[in-house]
Amino acid sequence: MSVPSLAPYIMKRPWLQRWMKPLSQWYFDNAGYRKLGLRADDLIPEESPQVQLALKRLSPKEAYDRVFRMRRAFQCSLAHQLLPRHEWTAAEQDYPYLSPLIKEIEIEIKEREDLEAMQITKPTPKK
Amino acid sequence: MISRAAIQRQAQRALRQSWQQSARGYASPASGSLAYQQGDANGIKYASRDYAGPVTTLALVSKAGTRHQILPGLAEALERYAFRTTERRSTLRIQCESELLGSELLRYHTRENLVVGAKFLRDDLPYFVELLAEVASQTKYQQHVVNEEIIPLIELNTKQRLADTLALAQESVHSLAFHRGLGAPLHPTSTNLYKNYVTADALAEYAGGAYAKPNFAVVANGVDHGELSKWVGEFFTDVPAQPTVEIKTEQSKYYGGEERIAHASGNSFVIAFPGSSSPTGAFYKPEVAVLAALLGGESSIKWTSGFSLLSKAATQTPLLHVSTKSNIYTDAGLLVTSLNGSASDIRATAPKIVETLKAVSQNISEEDFNKAKALAKFKELEFASGTQAAIEYTGAGLTRDGKPYQINEVASSIDGVTADKVKQVAKEALENKASVSAVGDLFALPYAEEIGLKV
Repeated sequence: MSVPSLAPYIMKRPWLQRWMKPLSQWYFDNAGYRKLGLRADDLIPEESPQVQLALKRLSPKEAYDRVFRMRRAFQCSLAHQLLPRHEWTAAEQDYPYLSPLIKEIEIEIKEREDLEAMQITKPTPKK
Repeated sequence: MISRAAIQRQAQRALRQSWQQSARGYASPASGSLAYQQGDANGIKYASRDYAGPVTTLALVSKAGTRHQILPGLAEALERYAFRTTERRSTLRIQCESELLGSELLRYHTRENLVVGAKFLRDDLPYFVELLAEVASQTKYQQHVVNEEIIPLIELNTKQRLADTLALAQESVHSLAFHRGLGAPLHPTSTNLYKNYVTADALAEYAGGAYAKPNFAVVANGVDHGELSKWVGEFFTDVPAQPTVEIKTEQSKYYGGEERIAHASGNSFVIAFPGSSSPTGAFYKPEVAVLAALLGGESSIKWTSGFSLLSKAATQTPLLHVSTKSNIYTDAGLLVTSLNGSASDIRATAPKIVETLKAVSQNISEEDFNKAKALAKFKELEFASGTQAAIEYTGAGLTRDGKPYQINEVASSIDGVTADKVKQVAKEALENKASVSAVGDLFALPYAEEIGLKV
């Protein structure tokens, strides 16, 4: 399940990107999930067939790490604590590992729907 | 009232259409011969034969059957991966487009070859040449496709084959006769084994060998040779010139032996002797085809058990299915007699089959011999005039020996067979080690020793 994003628009304009970058970093640091050791893609809701399929397509290592991060975050949440500072997710660690797979699956589904809705017209015989 | 102009238009169109249809039928000169023309486009071998008709069969024949696979299960996986997502289009798109053009995609593998091709209308040739080139050089091998589509398909196929005792016995007899190489199972028999081996990386590596210039040929039936050479030259440009992984062909060696497998869902008994290689290979013995026709077992007409020697031997057990086939491979062959039916029938008939073979090694009546020769020749010609077999043999001949399978030579070599040569083959078969495989009720099925064979 991908969400609409302004990021591509901003990334295309270097001046805007320079202007927005500190703001986005400030925002992500304050969102709090990094302090629980999570990544942004861990927050995508799982309850849809597309995401379920994408989760199955993760490599075994990525799938294991994802479950580990979630269990650790859940424990922290139960204990009302944050992780020690050195275990926080670093900005470069917070890369999209799941959303490219979801986008791929959405493209597949879209293609199937388009092909199924296709109108076939026979070429008219030439005079 | 219908205007005169409208009628005229319709009539003109009808006329044009009927003329076009008949013109299409005669569009290409019917060469009348079954011979292939061959060519070479930047190192890619291709062959074609043209005959009148609106349908073309085009295939890429690659030296990538189970015999050559580097890891178990790869040949079947590569077969099932043909026509899946490429760099330019998705699986679904390929299927839809080929369906809309009115065509049939075909893919299968044998012990030696992998055949990926299509049957389509004559005018669509460029599209399908491009598609085959794309399959060969631009397929994306992805792990999730292997997990979600390829392995479940192989699994289902394996399950289906596990219930078929005759198929099991044939696999077993090949592995007894040739051990590795030709003896590798045509379809994986155990579900767990190949899962460790069939991965996207292994497939990509194997494809780099299978779809490299020296290892495949493009064969077509029902196209203009000039047209084919033009499109092959245009589209097959990204194909690697050197294989990424070496596809080895070791000279097959015959071993022989006996294997017995307990099975609850049927009884099969297969006896095999060393046979003949294909006509393009070095060990071609046309007399083996005549011996196979002489022994026979199946009837070619209805409501009779037939006139072949084995069907006479099996008259007491009419429900038993007996057949003899000469399996030919490029550098070896296997003459296989298979019995399929109830265990008691097999027990009663198997010794008679060996007796028949012994009788053949001593004496063949003139009439039987002539009948067998005619049948062998007919079978060979009929086999090769069909497109599927001809395409595979031609492609294999081109990649291995640089010459296509020429039907005229095969027919004339069968003409040259004498009764003495056939007797000699039967005698050698009895003197050497046989390969015998029994699948089913092992209490009732006989041992090779009991029916008088040496293993």
